[in-house]
Amino acid sequence: MRRQRGFSLIELLFALVVLTIVITTSLAIFVERTNRSQRASELILAYQVLSNETEVIRRVGYGSLDALTDDFVTDTTILQPLAPFTTEVDVRQHRPGIKHVKMTIRWRAQSLATVTLIRTDTGGTNLW
Amino acid sequence: MVTRTARRRRASRGFTLLETVFTLAIFGFFIIILVTLTAEMRGYDRRYPVNFMKHPQVSAVVSRMRKDIVDAFGADPYPSSYATYTQTEKTLIVYSVQSTGFTQTVVWDFRTPGVVNRKAFSVGNVVSDWVARGVPANFNVGTFEIPNRPYAVRIRATDERGKLAIDQIFQPRAH
Repeated sequence: MRRQRGFSLIELLFALVVLTIVITTSLAIFVERTNRSQRASELILAYQVLSNETEVIRRVGYGSLDALTDDFVTDTTILQPLAPFTTEVDVRQHRPGIKHVKMTIRWRAQSLATVTLIRTDTGGTNLW
Repeated sequence: MVTRTARRRRASRGFTLLETVFTLAIFGFFIIILVTLTAEMRGYDRRYPVNFMKHPQVSAVVSRMRKDIVDAFGADPYPSSYATYTQTEKTLIVYSVQSTGFTQTVVWDFRTPGVVNRKAFSVGNVVSDWVARGVPANFNVGTFEIPNRPYAVRIRATDERGKLAIDQIFQPRAH
């Protein structure tokens, strides 16, 4: 007789709480996984462009670095999926004979990828 | 007094309309969430060229090629032909220094869509033959002009939908 009387309110509420926790956690993991995967793909695209820009800027004469603008010299077509995005090039004199060239790509609200190139004034033109 | 038969009948009478509607509402709520998330994921798949996480061999191709080109050596690091290969937009031949200090002629063959073949030759013999599959369909080897440095190589690859997946410029270093 006792076995047929069904669930009490407390049992039902407890089961619902457990179910809610399990489902919410599963969905949160799913969403987080998707976001991280998307972010990783975006970063791979962004760092390809930063790497290309670095290859070119490392060949720019030390005296000409200050003339660099925010527009990247290299092609940014690969960043199409990140649109709208912005590029920045910031050149700072770190100490005499050394400049830091910071290249940044920003997209969406808070996503950014950055690379800083340290350039030394070797006095010559055959820079590697 | 309630008989046993009456009790059994009450227990097997099924769900009320309210119970059914409430259950379906909860079920529908989770279905909507799942459909939304799936649609978001499919949109994301369409937007990006290659899922780099699913295909780690794409990054492996880029890394190995970077190493070969960065270590390119000699006055003519890109010979016009080697063995049965010719330097074309689909084939990169590079004379490269290895970690042992000896040089090898490395041939990157992109002629088969979706497959990249790297062969390394030493004194005419094949010393390494590496194949990567599941990579973007169309690779293209080109040049990129960098001031005072004529040897830069530009590798571009598009997937089967024509989306640009790889666009890398590599420049040899001094040895």
